Order: sequence, then structure tokens, then C-alpha cells
Amino acid sequence: MPGVTDHGAPTAAPKMLEMKSANHLMPEQWHAQLDDYLIDLRWSPDGEFLAALPATGHPCVFSATGKPVISLPEHLGANGSLTWSPDGHTLASVGLDAVLRIHPLADPAAARSRPLPPGWIERSAWNADGSRFAVAIGREVHIFCPLTMESVWCIVGHASTVSDLVWHPVLPDKLATASSGGIRLWRIGQDRPIGILDNGSAAMLITWSPDGRWVVTGEQTPSVSLYDTRKREPLYIQGFQSKIHAFAWQSDPSPDAPWLALGGGSVITVWPCFGKNGPRGVRPIQLPGHLREVTALDFPITGQHLASGGRDGLVLLWLPHHSDQPACIARRDEEISALRWSPTGVHFAYATASGHLAVHSFLARS
Amino acid sequence: MNSTAKLPVTVLTGFLGSGKTTLLNRILTEPHGLRIAVIENEFGEVGIDHELVINAEEEIFEMNNGCICCTVRGDLIRIIGSLMKRRSQFDHILIETTGLADPGPVIQTFFVDDDMKEKLALNAIVALVDAKHILHHLDDNDEAVRQIAFADVIILNKTDLVSPGALDLLESRIRAINGVAKIRRCQRADVPIESILNVGGFNLERAVGMDPRFLEPEYPFEWGGILMAPAGTLSLDASENPDPSMTAVIFPASGTDELALAAARDHAVAAFAATPKGADPGTRLSADGIPHDLLLTRSAMNWTVDIPTAGPLAIFTQHHPEELNLRFLTANGQLTPAVAAAYKPDHTHDEAVTSVGIESTGDCDGKKLDAWLSQLLREQGANIYRMKGVFAVAGDPDRFIFQGVHMLLDTANGGPWGTRPRRNSLVFIGKNLDREALNKSFRTCLA
Repeated sequence: MPGVTDHGAPTAAPKMLEMKSANHLMPEQWHAQLDDYLIDLRWSPDGEFLAALPATGHPCVFSATGKPVISLPEHLGANGSLTWSPDGHTLASVGLDAVLRIHPLADPAAARSRPLPPGWIERSAWNADGSRFAVAIGREVHIFCPLTMESVWCIVGHASTVSDLVWHPVLPDKLATASSGGIRLWRIGQDRPIGILDNGSAAMLITWSPDGRWVVTGEQTPSVSLYDTRKREPLYIQGFQSKIHAFAWQSDPSPDAPWLALGGGSVITVWPCFGKNGPRGVRPIQLPGHLREVTALDFPITGQHLASGGRDGLVLLWLPHHSDQPACIARRDEEISALRWSPTGVHFAYATASGHLAVHSFLARS
Repeated sequence: MNSTAKLPVTVLTGFLGSGKTTLLNRILTEPHGLRIAVIENEFGEVGIDHELVINAEEEIFEMNNGCICCTVRGDLIRIIGSLMKRRSQFDHILIETTGLADPGPVIQTFFVDDDMKEKLALNAIVALVDAKHILHHLDDNDEAVRQIAFADVIILNKTDLVSPGALDLLESRIRAINGVAKIRRCQRADVPIESILNVGGFNLERAVGMDPRFLEPEYPFEWGGILMAPAGTLSLDASENPDPSMTAVIFPASGTDELALAAARDHAVAAFAATPKGADPGTRLSADGIPHDLLLTRSAMNWTVDIPTAGPLAIFTQHHPEELNLRFLTANGQLTPAVAAAYKPDHTHDEAVTSVGIESTGDCDGKKLDAWLSQLLREQGANIYRMKGVFAVAGDPDRFIFQGVHMLLDTANGGPWGTRPRRNSLVFIGKNLDREALNKSFRTCLA
């Protein structure tokens, strides 16, 4: 019969019945219910606090043990993003009300805000040393000094809206942007991009590898572009079931790292991004297990346990280099919207489309 | 709203000055009980403070080397993706396009992007038309034609600025482009809001129900009837001239019933193929089936026909008689046709963009149907703006529904046929479509 492939439907019999539980390894410690879809979860760099960002309503900060610490003002219309400063002392939030707010965790009354140019604002990031904060607004990226709240630079010249941005993991003045037209690399203070990968694609999400070598975008088509900043060479991966909704880097400090996990459809693929050629010509590790699209992925900062969440409501734990059989951390009847390992690897948090937030401890790390 | 239910999306198109902003302001201010998120392209046009009015830059993503079907609206994908995270705040999304926009990429976004397909249901594409100026745009602007061709609902606005006759002609021309859209006439964009927000997606039976002639063949005339004419002289009197001329054929008929009219209709089709002879008002017309081009040059006109013997007389006219105030008079008064019918015309304009309907009884062979659709879309997809249909597939108790845009196709199970007669109904709206070839090729799919 004529038809369109339904990526939302499982393509193979699920392994649900055989899937073992991860409860013994990752018991739930606490949970909370927020009012709306949880866009993002962010652990503080020391792993002591967890910030949860709902689409609307008050962003909340919890202690790692589940105690509510602070409820931040919501952004009128909708919240955009919420990020910790690298020193963990401050949170920055932006939203559709075109306001940037800086919230010192120790002194909430000292919060500061400033207006931004109007626009659809939901992408922002601190640079590596915390001296700059970038916000994508339409076709521009505005760079602020978080201390003075002054605008220090504005990147213009994108032909279309900047759909995502990411700072270099180490260098505080380098930034990469994703837009229709691919990847652009920028150095603050220079008007023109210092690198362009324009393969005609519409880049939607962007990430920078922990070693600074690779800039990777997920695109509107079921494909991924990688830009090797050392060789200044592009690499293009296609053939995913659907467009990429999630990335994660495994960055063990070993020569055989990093690895890049991609969620393009229900099957996770994990690619080696080290060596001379990176993932070029390599068959990836394939991890089938989810019944629908994978929406969230994360590795601990140092560790090989990959956590994944999907539209099927499953939260799974993988050891990609050892087995393609996952263990089930949690099973919900709604989309998993975000998940994060704590930087220490001791805790793990996931969130759902209805605002459910749960934190598990990882006993292997305790 | 159930969080798993698909969120309805309405796309509002219309050429510059057609009244989109007026309609949008009405939708946002009238008490219809729906919370509507509006994505508009012309920032600030909506003149009210509404927190769910979102400005978007129209960004076309070309996803696959310029393939017309793979152009989508990147801004919509981003914004709607975010909106879906706070869907508890609204019940409906309304997308306003710029006046000059090609609606194709907007609609294709909902066919191409998996996330959009999963979470959203296209309620309707609504095209606003400025009744006063649209004819000018239709003659020289492809986008105006495409906006009409893509529409499910066409709102003929500013009808107070044109005469009823001109409105009929305009509607006829619009109908020639898009034979299945619901057409509503109004002034100041004053249409019931539910007629826009509650269309409920594609429904071929509704479309056919609105215009029962849609799936009929097209004829070179709009009207035909049989008069029981007495011997003597018959006068054709007219007092309106919507066009410079109108073709008519007159000939004796075999009777005054529908069978006779059907036979006369077929005879008239052949007669209309001949080159008509110009006939100024006041001249005599022959009743031998030779086409006459009645020159509509005055406000009051008449032509006479000699009737040597009494009997049924068939008259077929390019326009409906009401458009000309055409009356059939004898010495004994006005004659009313014993039987008459309106026909779907193909003469209104030589439109490059047209609708082709196919209606057939008999089940389709699933494999043949699959192959036919694949080949059709591969070869003609660029010219097919929209397509919709219901199939009866051999061995399947359910109705098989499809709709598409260009080469993109979406299908659904339409539920059991039940007591309804199994049949196949298809419509294609597009450019340079070959009606005969489409009909012929479809019949190869029948089991």
C-alpha cells in the first residue's frame, strides 16, 4: 500500500520483556513534580545542585538530595534556557520576554537583569572561563559581560536564524553557531567567521567535542555534519531514522576518546572521534532498545555509562563498549524530555514532558 | 486538551490587501473560547496585545538539492517545536503567511518533518481573496494562483465592492482553479470563526458534497435545457453582458425528459467544437446545431429563432442564463424549459492551474495503486500542488485515505466503508494536468 514510513512506530519487536532493571545499580533517591514540560536539567559544576527549567513557570534549583533551594522568576511567555556559570556560583536565564537575568545562588536578592533585543530567545551559553555570556537572537549572537551586564560584542552575518550556539570547551573567545547554511566558527572581536562549513544543510543543534577538535551539528534532514577544526575538513553522516534530537560525548581521558553518541530515531549510534580520521569509514556501535525516537542522551564526565531517554518513556542505561543490552532505569508513560549525569557521576536526573523530575544515585560511583 | 491529541494548525494565506490582518484580529478578539497561538510573518500587523502572537522570519530550508518538495519553513519547525513544549497554554496554532508567500513550503513542513507530522494536524489552508482586485493578480502573479490552488477554504472578501454578476464570474474562475475548496463570500472578513478553525482537515466527501459537479466531466457550456417550443418565432432576450460574447447552440431535441437532455448534451459537446459564427443583437439564429457567438454589446439585446414546426428544442449556452438575464419569449409569453441542467464548465478561463477529479466504482488493486501513485508523483509531482482521495482497495474493509502536496504523500485508514458504497474519489489540483491521461492511467489500478 502507498504510505509514509512512520518513524514513531517500532520497527522491530522490542526487547522490553528481556530488559533488566537498573534499580539495584541506580535506585531512585527523590522526585518532584513541576508545573510544565521540563525543557532542561543542569547540574552545578560541583554536582551539589540541580536546576530544572520548565517551559513555563518558575525555574527551580534543588540540592542533590532533593531539597528545594530556590525558585527563580519565570520569563513572561516562556522560559528559554537556564545555565550555570563555570564556577557554579551563578545561574543565567533568558526567555521569550527578551530579558537576561543573572541569579547569584548565594544571594538571590542580588539578581540582576537587562533587556535584550526582541526575538525568539531560547539558546544561550557561558564561555569556558565564565567571562562572557552569549545569547542567540534571530540572526545575531549577542555577547555580554556577566559582571557588568554590558553588551561587549555582537556577531552578525548569519543568513538565517541562529538555531543553536556553543562555546569552545577551553578557549574562552571561540564560539560556533548553527544555522541554515551549516556551521560557523567565530572569534570574539573578529567580524568575520574564522571557519565555515556550509554544505547547504539546515543545522538545528550544535555541540563541540570536549577535546575541542570536532564541531558537530544535527540537521533538519536525518543527518549530521562534523567539522574537524584541526584539519579543517568536513564529514557528513546520514542514514539515520529521523533527525537528531540528542548528542552526548564520552570523554574519558584516554587516547581512545572521545566517542560521540547520536540519537537519530530509536537506535542510538556511537562513533569514535579520535585517531587520524575520527569516525570516517568506521562502523558505529549501534544500540537498539528504544521503541520510539531517542530524545535525550548523556555520558558522565568521566565514565562509560550512557543514559538515554526517549519518546517511549524509557530511561535506559548502556555500556556501549561492552554490550548492546540496556538496563532500564525508569519507565514512564510520557516523553523523556531531558536527562543529565551529575558532574561527579554520583547522581543522575531525568525529566519528562509533564514536569516529572526524578534523581537516582549511581551506586557504582558512590 | 488531551496532551497526546494532535494540535490543529490553520494556515492563513492571501495576497496583499486581501484582509488577512482584519481576519486575524477578529479571530484573536472574538469570544470563540479557543486559545490560539499565532505565528505571523509581518511583525506588528496584528494590532492587539496578545502574548501568543509570535513573529517569525520566513526562512526556507532547502533540504535536498533544490527539490521543490523538500523546501520547508525552518522558522516554523523551530518555533512550533518550542510551542509544543507549552501546548497546555493553547488549543490551536494559526500561521499567517506573507502576501507574496508561496504556501507550498508551509504545507510541506507538515508533511516532511516527522515531529510536525506526529504532533500536529493540518486543519485547513485558508486563502483570503480580495474580490475587487484578485482577477488582476490571477492574470499576472503565480503566487496568487497557488494560494487559491492550495486552499481548503477560500474567503471571497470585500464582496461589497463588486457586482453580483462579477462575483459569480470570479467564483467560477476560482472554482476552475480549485474545484474542492469551500468558498465563502463576505465583507470585512466577516465569516464565522468556526468555518475557519473547525474545518477538520481534508474531507473529500464534504468537498464533493459542496459541489456535486466537481467530479463530473467538464463541458464547454454551463447550461442546457429543452423547451417545448411552439411553431413561430422564439426570441432570446438578454439584459446583462458579463463577457463580450457568449456561445450558444440551438437544435431540435428528441424529447423533453432527462434522457433526451443527456442525448442533447452529447450532441452539444460536438457542436461546441465548431468555430462559432458572430451574431450581433437583432440577428436571426439558426436552430440547426451550428454554434452562434452572441455578441453582448448592449444593455438590452435579443436574437430570434425561426421555429417552423412545434416541438422540443434544445438550447445550450456557454454561461448560465441568469448571468445574462436571458429569457425565452414567444408570442404567447415566456417559455420555461421542460428539463434543464447546469454543467461544470471548462471554458471559464484557460487556466494553467486546474483541478482534476476522478470518480470510479470498483475496487483498486493495492499493488497497482501503489505503483501508479509512485510513478505519478515521481513524474508529475512538481506540478501537483495538492491531491486528496479516498480509495476502495480490494480485500480491505476500510476506506483508504490519502492526501499530499507535490511529491509528498500521507495516508490514513478512513475506517470501515460500512453501508456506504465502495468507490474511489480522487482530486488533483495542479499545473498543466492532463485530465484524460489521469483518468485513463487511474483505471489501470482497478482490480
